[in-house]
Amino acid sequence: MNARATQLRAPFVLLGATVRALPSVRRSYRRVVESMFVVGNQSVVFIAVTLAFLGLILVYQGAYQAQKVLPDLSQVGMIFIGTMVRTFGPTIVALMLATRVGAGIAAELGSMVVTDQVEAMKVTNTDPVEYLVVPRFVASLLMTVVLWVFGVLVAVFAGTLMGTMRFGIQLGTFLSLAGTQPADVGVGLLKCVAFGIAIPILSAESGFRASGGSEGVGWATTRAVVNSSFAVIVLDFLISTLAYVAGW
Amino acid sequence: MSGTRMPEEPVDDGSAVGASVAPVGRAILAACRVVGGMSVLQWRIVRSMLSPRAFDYDETVRQLFKVGWLSVGVVVATALFVGALMVISSGNFVKATGATSIVGWAAGTAVFSEVGPVLIGLMFSGRVGANNTAELGTMVITDQVDALRVLGIDPIAYLVVPRFLAMIVMLVLLTCIGDIFALIGGAIACQAVLGIDMRIYWHGVLESHLLDEFAMGLVKGFFFGGGISIVSCHWGLRVSGGAQGVGRAVNNSVVTAAIAIFVVNFFVTVLWT
Repeated sequence: MNARATQLRAPFVLLGATVRALPSVRRSYRRVVESMFVVGNQSVVFIAVTLAFLGLILVYQGAYQAQKVLPDLSQVGMIFIGTMVRTFGPTIVALMLATRVGAGIAAELGSMVVTDQVEAMKVTNTDPVEYLVVPRFVASLLMTVVLWVFGVLVAVFAGTLMGTMRFGIQLGTFLSLAGTQPADVGVGLLKCVAFGIAIPILSAESGFRASGGSEGVGWATTRAVVNSSFAVIVLDFLISTLAYVAGW
Repeated sequence: MSGTRMPEEPVDDGSAVGASVAPVGRAILAACRVVGGMSVLQWRIVRSMLSPRAFDYDETVRQLFKVGWLSVGVVVATALFVGALMVISSGNFVKATGATSIVGWAAGTAVFSEVGPVLIGLMFSGRVGANNTAELGTMVITDQVDALRVLGIDPIAYLVVPRFLAMIVMLVLLTCIGDIFALIGGAIACQAVLGIDMRIYWHGVLESHLLDEFAMGLVKGFFFGGGISIVSCHWGLRVSGGAQGVGRAVNNSVVTAAIAIFVVNFFVTVLWT
């Protein structure tokens, strides 16, 4: 029970240490940029493929279900774009980042831990949090927002192809922002920020906890994916509830 | 260390076109290798299953237990939140139109046909698929797979086929369980967050005749389970290069599985409807 409590507390402790070390980011500007390149470069094709298929399927299902009850499909595009921005865009992009970037961070840090490189840093008086976590934290926070915008654009593009070519909806009718309020953009952005904080912290924490050779790195990577994916879903639920209750 | 500035890398202008095209070619070749390798693995699994004395019964039962035990907690927890999320997402439309009866239909359709199978599949891939890659990768690195071959045991029949069967059976069952828990999560959110009587929601779910959607979700679970097992065994058996190699293989495995889930999901839906 006590071990459980420590396990639950550990990410928050790391988050606190990261926030305290955040001012050092000015000195490690270059490493942040490198990290951003890695995060973005690793995941841009991956997110393009998955979000394109998400866009296709959402429009397909939306139009298919709407056909059963309504004679016209003029609202499909409007509702699709709105839910993409607010709900599906942030969630799916973040889940993809949890599998791509989260697993990557845990694998990297985990192999550094089992080969004693992190211990070596401590010996040379380099703070591992400052040197390893802060750049990845800042990078994934910024890149989550960037990839959210990118992912929504890809999904809308794919969805538009489906809507206009398969269901014959007029392009102008489909690409309507009438279903996207400023509040939807705000809620989507808030979600992205929350996910962008949770993913690197949880993944770095499982990477640091790796022990015992290649097996340990494998477990750490698995744990990072599961923990950060689950955190994304729970945070999504909390923010959606908050947004609904607050009337955003 | 943190203050050092590296000099800029010199850029070779002579082959600018080649340098910009080369990564594309490399990526396409890498993708072909992955798809080809997985197809070969699928073929060897089928061949191994058709041959007499096909698979190790004990190992299959062990895998069934392990796969189910590993993932049931995370799948149930995810499903509860996902169902709640679907209900809350439809909340604004319900508030705008006043049509409270639509909640059950919307949540039920979304959960059964798309969101449920896909999110359960993604969590399953993160939990079981990644774990499987790590396990097989560690076996490869510590030469246990070669030891099996020396003993005259086919690694495909002994290691891969039981995992393939176990993941298919378990993901279909977990999709079933997850769908039910997602509906329960939705009911709780309906009452607690939206303030709509739970009975209206359950009525909406039951009146919408969602058996077709439910069956499609199970078919998706079947294909996702097969896909995840092939992807994770493929990456696990190809590990090389110590601890770093295992980490990278797990990473590649979950990414490939996620792509497979979205692509397969699309085709199952389009072919089903």
